[in-house]
Amino acid sequence: MRHFLSTYGTALAGLAIVIFFAVATPAFATPGNLSIILKETSFLAILALGFALALMTAELDLSIAEVASLAAVITGALVHAGQPVWIAVAAGLGAGLLCGVANGLAVTSLRVPSLIATLGTAAVAKGLAFMITQGVAFVGRWPTGFTGLARGSLLGVPNLVWWLVGVAATIFVFVNWTRAGSHLVATGEAEEAARLAGIRTARMKRLGLGLSGLLAGGTAVLLAASVSSAAPNMAGDHFLYAIAAVLLGMTMFTPGKPNVIGTLVAAFTLKALGNGLILLGAAYYVQDIVLGLIIVGSVALSAAAMRRAAFVKKLSFRT
Amino acid sequence: MQPASRIMEGADEAPLLSLRAITKTYGAVEALKGVDIDVHAGEVLAICGDNGAGKSSLIRIVSGAQEPTGGTIALRGEPIRLRSPQDALQRGVATIYQDLALAPRLSIAQNVFLGSELTRPVLGLPFARLLDKRRMAEEARGYLQRLAIDVADMTTPVERLSGGQRQAVAIGRALRWDAELIIMDEPTAALGVKETAQVLDLIRRLRAEGRTVILISHNMADVVSVATRVVILKSGRKVTEEPTVGLDADTLAHMVMTGKKP
Ligand SMILES: Nc1ncnc2c1ncn2[C@@H]1O[C@H](COP(=O)(O)OP(=O)(O)O)[C@@H](O)[C@H]1O
Ligand SMILES: [Mg+2]
Repeated sequence: MRHFLSTYGTALAGLAIVIFFAVATPAFATPGNLSIILKETSFLAILALGFALALMTAELDLSIAEVASLAAVITGALVHAGQPVWIAVAAGLGAGLLCGVANGLAVTSLRVPSLIATLGTAAVAKGLAFMITQGVAFVGRWPTGFTGLARGSLLGVPNLVWWLVGVAATIFVFVNWTRAGSHLVATGEAEEAARLAGIRTARMKRLGLGLSGLLAGGTAVLLAASVSSAAPNMAGDHFLYAIAAVLLGMTMFTPGKPNVIGTLVAAFTLKALGNGLILLGAAYYVQDIVLGLIIVGSVALSAAAMRRAAFVKKLSFRT
Repeated sequence: MQPASRIMEGADEAPLLSLRAITKTYGAVEALKGVDIDVHAGEVLAICGDNGAGKSSLIRIVSGAQEPTGGTIALRGEPIRLRSPQDALQRGVATIYQDLALAPRLSIAQNVFLGSELTRPVLGLPFARLLDKRRMAEEARGYLQRLAIDVADMTTPVERLSGGQRQAVAIGRALRWDAELIIMDEPTAALGVKETAQVLDLIRRLRAEGRTVILISHNMADVVSVATRVVILKSGRKVTEEPTVGLDADTLAHMVMTGKKP
């Protein structure tokens, strides 16, 4: 029973919240509103999965939101200038990847802790985004070839949700079923052990941070396509949400470890919670307060699982 | 006089591992001052000595974790350089770094195959390979069974195992590489009596399989019970080299302190 609760407790709590809102406000469980929640979840979860991949190598990527904003602005500028859609998309993804690789190199080659390196990258990305836009957003009638990436639907399911399913499934298989994925996880679990076993841990850290940047770029492209505009701070609101999704996700399924399914369930729960609070008439700032409590609460919950590992380490023998 | 095991193994056969005039300096500190050691196939060689004698430095050199300042290493008569632990592993020299080498929250199978996971092709595509978790679990179980360790579930995280079982998982990884020479640095330090006995038994099983073991230990009772030969280091030099036959723990302790037999 305790095992069941520690594995599924927070996921069930999320389900309870969804049921609560469905009962409390009639506007919540309508197809239209659920579709809005799912679309919001897609942006959030793709961004959060990047953060999770970096965290799997035991590195923090605090630059995801600013990198996503920069990538959105670059994509928006190119679409706005009438460049082909594929070039704009590639530039957005490329910008994200480049920032991620820069983070990776700063951490592995320059030995700057990721906490600091990614804060620096965030500041640079923010500055570049304002430089490119000169402070105003790119807004316009953009080609449907671009906006359709995020707006249409296929078989009755929003395109955004398809993107999320594709990205999440790919990452799930990568992390759980490939050699590179298990090397990534081993790097975060026990760096010294992984290194002694011949795993290229520095390369894995660059991979985790690089993928985090790439996914921030992907989120940016979808965000820009969805609202057909690009502003230099457009992903800012997603930052705390993404971190909360990963940390809350770490309380589920494999407690104490960042994981794909947990991140997805947590992202949906957080978006449903935010949406439900607004429908109930709560002020906008209530979301931030709740988010802060969830972030601290999640870590407090999974700290038990993390402490267990450290505890055992302390008890065991060392030279 | 030649060591007994040398006579037993046959003198013309090249030693499995041969160290000549090994030196290691850390800045002004001379940790090893020209050490010659031969390790013969099938023996359990204990390396003893006080703190600071140079045991760990020597082991790091043999395991590929650091290169010597001077001297030569030969494996099966062939001069080699060991550039990394991975390099050593590929040549059949595995070092068990105790818990440093295990990922506590990963499973037994994941730890045994850490860095050398088995994969299988998917959908007959040559480039798409996924982890073969079932085979890794089966083979990991096989290695542990060879070491007479019975754990039901290969997906158990290593953190839930006893100290002796964890040592077996680390040895299991050496078996996975089919290592001929297995180096263990203080494998029983901080283990209880029962777990120590279990680890000594693991060492005997390795020897019975024809593998060669280098054992670093402070515990003289362990050394006389499991080693076939002992080398004593003092201040970076080899001072004694003896078969353990007929030695008792007290005599050995005296030899470690004084460098000679009482
Ligand atoms: N990385 C290092 N840097 C500087 N000095 C070292 C280092 N490693 C060992 N030493 C020194 O080398 C000598 C031998 O140490 P070590 O090989 O650890 O001996 P033992 O394992 O027998 O205790 C000691 O004087 C120790 O202080
Ligand atoms: Mg030592």
